[in-house]
Formats: sequence, C-alpha cells, structure tokens
Amino acid sequence: MLKLSAIQWTGLAVFFLAIFVGVPMMIAATGRTDLFFTLTSVGLLAIASAGVWLTFYIGRINIGQGAFALLGAYVSAILVTKAGMSFWLSLPLAGLFAAFVAVLIGLPILRLRGVYFAMITLVLTQVFTLTALALPITNGAKGITSIPLPGELSILGITLIPDFSTLENPRQAFYFTTAVLMVLTYAALYRIVNSRLGHLCRSMQQNEELASSIGVNISYIRVLIFAISSFFGGIGGAVFGSIAQSVYPSSFQVADSVNFMLNCFLGGLGYVFGPMLGTLVLYFGWDLLFELGKYQMLIYSSLLIFLMLVLPNGLLSLRLPKKGGQDK
Amino acid sequence: MKRRSILKSAAAAVALSAMAAGSAWAENPTLKIGFVGVTSGPAAAWGISNQRSMEARAAWINETGGYTIGDTTYDIEIVSFDDQKDPKRAIAGMEKMAQEGIHYVVGPNVDDGAAAVRPVAEANGIMYFPYAFPKELYTAPASNAVLGMVANYQSGPAIYKHLMENEGVKTVAFIAANESDPLSQRDGGVAAAEALGLEVVSSNVTYQVDTTDFTPVLTPVLRTQPDLLVLSGVSPANAPQLIRSARELGYQGLISTETAQDAQVLQEGAGDLANGFISVGGASTPELASDAMREFVQRYTDMFGEYNDESNTKVYALEYILETLKADPAGIDNVDVFKATMDTFEAPNPYMVGDAKLRYVGDSSFGQKRQVAVPLVVNVFQDGTFETLFVAEVD
Amino acid sequence: MEQILANGVYLGAQYAMIALGLTLIFALMNVLNFAHGQMYVLGGFVTYTFYGQLGFPFVSGLVMSCVTLFILGALIERFLFAPVIKRSSREESTMLLAAGLAFFFDAVILLVFGEKQRGVPKIVNGVFNWDFRLIMPYDRILICVLAILSIASFILFMQYSKTGRALRALAQDRTAAQLMGVNVDRYSMIGFALGAMLAGLVGGLLVTITGVNLGMGGPTSIKAFMMVMIGGAGVISGAIWGGIILGFMEAFGLAYLAQYGDITYLLIFVSLMIFLAIRPQGLMGKPWG
Repeated sequence: MLKLSAIQWTGLAVFFLAIFVGVPMMIAATGRTDLFFTLTSVGLLAIASAGVWLTFYIGRINIGQGAFALLGAYVSAILVTKAGMSFWLSLPLAGLFAAFVAVLIGLPILRLRGVYFAMITLVLTQVFTLTALALPITNGAKGITSIPLPGELSILGITLIPDFSTLENPRQAFYFTTAVLMVLTYAALYRIVNSRLGHLCRSMQQNEELASSIGVNISYIRVLIFAISSFFGGIGGAVFGSIAQSVYPSSFQVADSVNFMLNCFLGGLGYVFGPMLGTLVLYFGWDLLFELGKYQMLIYSSLLIFLMLVLPNGLLSLRLPKKGGQDK
Repeated sequence: MKRRSILKSAAAAVALSAMAAGSAWAENPTLKIGFVGVTSGPAAAWGISNQRSMEARAAWINETGGYTIGDTTYDIEIVSFDDQKDPKRAIAGMEKMAQEGIHYVVGPNVDDGAAAVRPVAEANGIMYFPYAFPKELYTAPASNAVLGMVANYQSGPAIYKHLMENEGVKTVAFIAANESDPLSQRDGGVAAAEALGLEVVSSNVTYQVDTTDFTPVLTPVLRTQPDLLVLSGVSPANAPQLIRSARELGYQGLISTETAQDAQVLQEGAGDLANGFISVGGASTPELASDAMREFVQRYTDMFGEYNDESNTKVYALEYILETLKADPAGIDNVDVFKATMDTFEAPNPYMVGDAKLRYVGDSSFGQKRQVAVPLVVNVFQDGTFETLFVAEVD
Repeated sequence: MEQILANGVYLGAQYAMIALGLTLIFALMNVLNFAHGQMYVLGGFVTYTFYGQLGFPFVSGLVMSCVTLFILGALIERFLFAPVIKRSSREESTMLLAAGLAFFFDAVILLVFGEKQRGVPKIVNGVFNWDFRLIMPYDRILICVLAILSIASFILFMQYSKTGRALRALAQDRTAAQLMGVNVDRYSMIGFALGAMLAGLVGGLLVTITGVNLGMGGPTSIKAFMMVMIGGAGVISGAIWGGIILGFMEAFGLAYLAQYGDITYLLIFVSLMIFLAIRPQGLMGKPWG
C-alpha cells in the first residue's frame, strides 16, 4: 500500500472535501452554475493532460493527445448512437480502444525521441482529424450530433447512476462524474509513479541505453505507458462528446494537443499534480480575463510569458517541500 | 470604445433587478444581448464582423436614447465571449450567457460550435442565432436556434439558376477547404446543382485551410474546364488567392461563392482579377442601401476604423431580436413567447430601400420558422465595389 | 508534368526558407520555436505597411521586415529565452515560452493590423504561359528566384563569414565552441535574430503573392516543423531538403491524388510518419536531435 504522511492525508482530505462538497456548495451559494461546466472542462482536460504528463515521465514530449481524445469521443459517440450501447459501457471501451490504437502506433513511433517524437505526435493529431473527415463511420464533415445524454446505470435493479436526461441539472451530474474520473486518474498516476514501473520510467527518462543495458525491457514499458496515456485521453474525449452531445472532426485539434502539453509544463513536469494545476490555471485564466474584452488574449499571453520567466520549472516548483505532489 | 468592467456589469445587474422589482429608474435599464463566437485566431474575421456590427448598432441605439420595448426604454449592452473556434469553449460561453441572465445570443460562427451549445441553450431557455448551416439545428425537435443568414443550400440554387438562364452555364466545378463547414456546403451545393440539371465536372478537390498557394490545388479542377467554379464555404482570406490563381492559370469562366465577402479584401488580394466574382452579401450596395444602412456603415467605420462588408448580413440578427421583443415584450425573459411571436412577426426592414420586411422564414427548409429573412442579395465584384446582380427571397 | 515540377520548385523554395530560420534557432539553442509562423506573419505585415500602405518601394519594405524581425529576435532571445534556458531544469520548458509568444504575437497582430486578409499591389504584372503546358505568373517567378538567392547567400554566409563559422561551431557543440573562445551568449542572440529575420524575409516576399492574415502563423509553424523533421532537426542542408521534398510532395500529391480529394494531405502526413518511423533522425539529422 501507499505510505502517505499525515500531512499528505490531510491534503488529500481537504482536496476531496473541496471538489465534492466545497465546490457544489459554493456554486449553490453564489448561483454561479456556469462554473459547473468550466470546472468539468478543467477536470476532463486535466485527465487528458495526465496522460501527456505520463509520457513526459518516460522522456517523450507528447503533442498527440488531441488525437486520442478525438478517437475516444468518436468511439463513444458511435457506440452510443449506432449500436445503442449505454454511455457507461462505451466510456471504458473508448479508453481501451484509444489504448489499443496507441499500441499499434506507438510500437514504431516510440523509437523516436526528443523533438522528433514531439513532431510526429503533432502530425498524428492532424492525421486523426483528416481521417475523421474522410471516413464514413464518423459521418465525415457533418459530425455526429444529437447524441443522447448518459442513460441509467443499474446493477441487479439497483440504480447506481440515474438517467441524466431525467435530472434537473445534468451539468452537476457531469461535474461529479468528471470529479470521480479525475480522482481515479490521478490516483492511478500516483500509483504508477510510486511503483516499480515508475522507478523504471525514471531510469528511462535519465538514459534509455543505460536502462536497457541493466535489463529493463524499454520497448515494452514505453508502449505500456503510451497506451495508458492514450487511455486517459480517450476517456476525457468521450465525456466531452457526451456533454456537447456532438462530435466533429474539429472537436479536438492541434491546438488542443498543444494545450495539453502546455498544461503539463505550466504545472511542472516534476510533480504528479502538476498537470491538474496547470490545466486549472490555463483554462480558468482565460475565463477570468473574460472581462477584458479584446485585450483578453494579449493579457493572457503576457501573463503566460511572465509566469515562464519567473517559474521556468512550473507552478508547483513554488510549493512547500513534502506537500501534495510527488517529486523523484 | 466600450470596455466592460466588473463594476459596470455589477451596476447593470443592479439596474436589471431594480427594473424587475418594478421601481422607476432615472437611467435606462440595460438589456443584455450575448455574442458567442470566434474573435481571435485564424477565423477571427467571422466573429469580429459579428461582434462589431452588434456593438456599433448598440452604441447607436444608446446614443439616441435607447430602445423602447413595451413601456420600458432600454440601453443595449453586448456581452461577447470569444470561443476561439473551439466547441468546448463555445459551451462555456453559452453557460456564461445563461449565468448573466441573457436569453438572446448571436453565434456561434461554425457548425461544431453551434451543435455543441445546443444542449445548454435548450436547458437554459436561450434563443441563439448561429451562422452555421446544418439543418438539424433548426428542424424539430430542435427549436432554440435561428439561422442568422441565408444558407448555401438556399442561395446556391438561386445563383446557379440565374447563371444558367442568363449566362448559359452548363458545367460546374466545386472546390472546398477540407473542414466541416465548407465540405458540408460543398455537398449541399453539388446536390443543388445536380437537381437543377447542371453537370458537375469536379467536386472532389479540397485544400487545407492553411494553404497559401492555390495553383497546384486548382490545376486539376480547371483542367475540367467548367463554365462555373464554385468556391464552397470559402473564407474571406482564401477567396482572393483562389480567384487570383484561377485567373492566372487562364481560367475564363465564372467564379462564385455562397458566403459573404469583403470588397476591400478582394481588391487588395486579387485586384482586377476579381472582377466578375459573384458572392452573397447584405444590402449595402448603393442600389439597395437605405439611409439607415448608410448611417450604420458610417458609425461602424467611425467606431472601428474600417468597415467590413461581411457585416452587411450580420447587422440583422440583433435587429431581429430587438424588433421581435418589441412585438411582444413578454419575450424579454421568456423564449416561449418569443417563439410564438416568431410565427407571425413582421416589421419593416430598416436597412433596405423599398418595402422589404423583417420576418422569420424557413418553413420549406426546416419545417418551422427558424431563419431570419435576410434579403438574398447576390453581388458581383467590379473594380473594388460590389454591384447587385439580383435580389431574391427565401421562404 | 512541367507544371507540377515548376509548382514543386516554387513551393519548395519558399518552404525551405521558412524551415531554415526554424532549424537555425533549433540548432543553436534547442528551442522549438512555436512562434516562428507568427514571426513570418509579422514580417508580412511590416512589408504590407511599408510597401502596400505607405507606398515605399518593395525592396525597402523587405529591408524593414528583416530589420524589424532581427531586432525583435535579438530582444526575445536576450530577455526571454536566454534567462529561461539558464534557469529551467528541462530545456523543453522553453516550448511553453514559445507558445506563449505565439499567442502574444497573434494578439498584437490582431490589435494592430486587424482581422482582415491583407494584400499588396503586384510587383510585376503578367503571366508566363508556355503553350498552357507551363503557366507561371512573373511575380511568382521573381519571388522564387529571390528566395533561391536568399537561401544561397545564407549558405555562403554560414560557410565563409566569421559569424557564420562561429554559429556553426555553436550548433555542433556548445561546450567546445565556448572553450574555443566563441562568445556563446552573443552568438546565440545573433543566431536567434538571424532565424527570426529569415522568417520576416519570407513573410515580406510572400505577401506579394499570398497576402497575409493573422491566421497564417500557427499552420506555418507546423508546416515548418514537418520540413525540419523530414530533413533532420538542426541541420541547415536538412531544412532545405525538407522544404523541397514537402514542396514536391504537395505538388505531386495535389496533381495525382486530386480526385480522391480529402485524402491528399492524409497520405502526405501518413507517409511522413512512416518515413520518420523508419528513419527517426530524418534525412541527415543527428541521431537524437
């Protein structure tokens, strides 16, 4: 089992309280129901960013997460609309299919490193967008629209999750779904980083040849990591498709792939919770600057540049030692 | 120029609640109308021409004492949200509009955004006026979207028919950017052309949105020697380059598109080569523009430095919202009343000479009145300005 | 066929020039400059302002583009990239800075030059037409020649000038260059400025053909990345080959795959991925960039 210090347990408890009780209470008190979607977005993008962070962990710059998010969104949408499958079953399948494709693509391209891997993944995002435009099953340019909301999930007649379309506020339901998924994702991430696998990843990040020479099966590990990473991307994308009730080839594009990567940089590559914080700041930052009108982009990018100048190793490099995230 | 501050929106909120309480207020209460669309990045031109026409019109109204709906005179405030052409952001924008208590929103500008905001708009009682053409947005059971312009499957047939009868066009070729909106428009155009009996000689060629050199793209299309080359869903940035390349390759036939273009952009980008280019516009050609239209163009130019001809069609959405609210003031916070009003609504069109009317149409395309009746003005570009080729009506 | 080859040469020459600046910056500082496309757009707008708006001769517009971008590049290196590279634990962190810069330039361009597509008067009129087998407007031919000349003079500069030799030494081995007495800080700045200047120069040249709008930046960067990957990151000759290869791939692809429409670029991208999977360092790159 994981060994956490008392201070880490406290931090974790505070975090849970905040996202499961604090946020809904605050929204109820202030009436800012639009925040449900904003925070849901942050959560979903953070899930996809977690995957990107994981590929960073084996020393690969991944600018292809948008491709797998798009893939996940399409898989779920197709299963729900064409096969009539329950969203709750299509969600893990979307992740698994993304992981499967990642294995096929990863086997050849993971031999690349540095900027070469970064660029090939960037091209991958465009390839997926263009494929979605060209294939009949994705309905090409017209996209898949009018996707029903997630239905009821019940086991042995006991309703675990109610039908979203009968709920008074489906936004809130999506928020809780996302919060749970995000917690699971980061728990998995934390577990991986602190396992033997994580240890091997760190050795690969330092020097692949050396790791290989001491008997680490590096090609197996990097494909495994890439598959897990893409699984997260697929999950994030699938939930987004369900919220928008539509998927288009442009639902996730190169800009999204780049943003996923930036989230990791901004949060800090050395910290498990970096991508979560990075996503929150990058996404929310844009929203908070809404009042600035046409200067929004100018101020936003200036702040980004300034942050980079002050904290080139990510926001979490500011943190107090031994709290929250996990360093090497 | 107006810059919103937190203070100001707070004041506006106070004003609104005061009004709701029924107390008399010395200052005009504020009526907020939303805009969710793309105002940064590559497609910024689409959203900015929307946003600026709304802001120019709102400033004009406010300067002349406000807009009277029922017994109350309102100042109009435009609340804009930049969705960066990202459907995920567009949802956030629509949520924000709901949060601000806004029931009438113009935008989004593209298909995926318009589809993505639908659940939010329907859940929160928001009528929105997208510039996207997919029919299912406007066909029942969807009921909150109102098409803010003439769709290409409506303007296309009218243009092709006119050209068949007057120019003897027999063959047509289509070219589109490899992106959702243009591809859908191309498919619509091809269907329309075939229905009219035109021979479609090429419709497979597409180009990347970021193409800068169109010569290699156009070469195979022009080899089929069509009488008419249709640039489906072409963005204002690509149009002049496509025209220029086609003409430089020796193409002599007609070129047309079903989207709105800007005369100055065409002039700078293609010069005389753009002469004869056919596009769809609003009512700013000298033959059609009313004094109100000319004043609008003048105010827009004063406010933002230069006019954008795309705004000729985009001036209408805000006008429709306000006029329809005026017709039944109860619609101000109840879109069901608004929807009921739409069926019978009719008002004079202030931007066009003659007795043109503002009314909702769409029965034949969508089975319900979910489209604004913008005059279908087909323009031809000649020496730096647009001239009216013909005017048609959509039903 | 003649037409396809001519299209290929024209596309290849302009692409190679865009890729050159990017690869120079990458070779010197290991920075993947996401803002390269925006610098190109900025160069286009400077020429637009001087030549198209103020009526100065075209050449002076080009010079202004070069000067503006050179100074801008120098300032950016000195005050943004250099400090971040020094202090960050992983050099990839500069990607965030570069992306931030790209957003920043986009915002500035939108505020200063507006959202519309801009164009300038043609520099030469007329079209070269060889029996409809080969059609090429004269201004395209001129720009193509100018691009090739610029590339040639850049290569000569890198080969024979003192600065060029220092830059090459720096690109090969930073530490060794420092030991040999090359002022690393100074030449990094000059190299970055040169890279930015090249972007500005292409922007200025191409504004006469394609015009310029604020949306061209991002896609241009991505295209430039692809060329650099084909040729091999950080290698000057690689960038030129990458540009030419991509140019010809587009010319041939668009000519022969046109009837399949939507999949032309899909095939180009997929073949690029397969090529890189087989040859991970590009045509002539150092093994791991």
